Amino acid sequence: MKAEQDARLRVLRFGRVSPLRSQTLWHAIAEGVSNGAPATLSFMRPDSPYVSVGYHHDLGQVDLDACERAGLPVYRRMVGGGAVYLDEGQLFFQITVAATDLPPARHDALSRLLTPALAAFDAAGLPAHLDRSGEILVGDRKVCGHGAGQIGNAVVVVGNLIECFHHETAAGLMRTPGRATAAEALRLMRRYVGPEEGSSVDPVAFEHAAVRSYAEALGREPSEGRLTGVEREALARWDRRLASPEWQAGPARRRSSAWQLKVRSGVYVVAAEHAGARVEASVVDGRLDALRLEDPEASGGASAAVQALRGRPLAEVPAVLADLGAAGRRLTAAFAAASGGEVAVTSRARAATSQEAR
Amino acid sequence: MSTEHGQQLADISGYRVRLDLAYFREADLWVETLAGGRARVGLDPLGAETSGTLAQLALVAVGTAVTRGQPLGSLEAEKFVGPLVTPLSGSVVATNEAVVARPSLVEQDPYGSWLVEIELARVEELDELVSGETVAGYFADRVERYRREGVLAE
Repeated sequence: MKAEQDARLRVLRFGRVSPLRSQTLWHAIAEGVSNGAPATLSFMRPDSPYVSVGYHHDLGQVDLDACERAGLPVYRRMVGGGAVYLDEGQLFFQITVAATDLPPARHDALSRLLTPALAAFDAAGLPAHLDRSGEILVGDRKVCGHGAGQIGNAVVVVGNLIECFHHETAAGLMRTPGRATAAEALRLMRRYVGPEEGSSVDPVAFEHAAVRSYAEALGREPSEGRLTGVEREALARWDRRLASPEWQAGPARRRSSAWQLKVRSGVYVVAAEHAGARVEASVVDGRLDALRLEDPEASGGASAAVQALRGRPLAEVPAVLADLGAAGRRLTAAFAAASGGEVAVTSRARAATSQEAR
Repeated sequence: MSTEHGQQLADISGYRVRLDLAYFREADLWVETLAGGRARVGLDPLGAETSGTLAQLALVAVGTAVTRGQPLGSLEAEKFVGPLVTPLSGSVVATNEAVVARPSLVEQDPYGSWLVEIELARVEELDELVSGETVAGYFADRVERYRREGVLAE
């Protein structure tokens, strides 16, 4: 009997749920799968807007005052990624499987659990592809936010079908260093997030195709199901946990002096200062897209450097700024401080940082 | 096998492996026994490769009591959050802040990027780790298995 149950893909459809439940339900399902429930594909839609941050993400990057004024809760989720604005224009899906059913390499595990979703996006009217970083895109526009995590002995990959995206609202809920960076974040969100305006997206077709595609990919028979007793108990526990201030604060992490907003994989707005020099820049697939440079000793030279740097790879920053002398070294150091994580840091920029520090 | 700075190194199936350390098979970790009943823990070369480029690393605070197999922190690569479990029970007496600040160091230098130091509560747990003459075979077997499963490139 157990073997027969294990061969099924349990399908759970929750419809519209509260923002809290749109997060806690799949945490509870992961506990269930960890305790022997079959692999599960679940769907839900939040009935009102909120903000969610990834497990390790710095809460300081969310404008909590703006969230409070708008009456939006902020929930930390136990999967990765950054701060995201979520609302009823997004259909959430989650695939949860036993960790032992996946390859140990995380990239491979993630790819295996995201690839079946492509057929569902296609059925919904969005001919999407999976890029090397695991982003689901139509052309170069992100149409699915995703994250993954291991909870107990289960791995869950969460994603959403972005039917329409409220760029102004989303950008307004992120803490930015100033108006220019806020405007740049909004510009890049409009350019790179959500389906093209006027796109027709069919969430019903998405659900049907997702069930077929995941069942086939996992070699399981789809079967409508419901939460187990273990999962219902876990749900109450996760409700309390995600609503608690301690959980919202997240694990201890070092605060960065720089500011960085990820719009989608490869698209960032960054800002940082170093010894009076200031850099604000947007980076698209490793190249500088727009930027502002400020240094007390490089007024004219900074304008020329901005022109010279636009469109160039980040790695060329130190060479281009070398002509500005001490101001160039300070600006290079500010670039090095602003970069980090998925935005490349060059060894020469790090050397400039060390030199300035001395 | 070669010896560099007192470390016994060997090339095993394409990986540079320290034979003078012990290994925790459940979580791809290396363990170095230190003086004074302490041990240093890090991700081994296979653990580093299968994790991918780490974007985030969170470790428990210094002073935290940990139990073998229980969480020591968490890792994140490619938006995938996973637990980091401890191979030994005891009290965490140091964390490597340089690696917390730049988790990608682990991929670049798994043995140089230790994560925590633990003051051991149960020294006998060291006997349950893979160590000594069995390390080379253990590591070669893991690489072979991962390659057979398609996890690692040939």
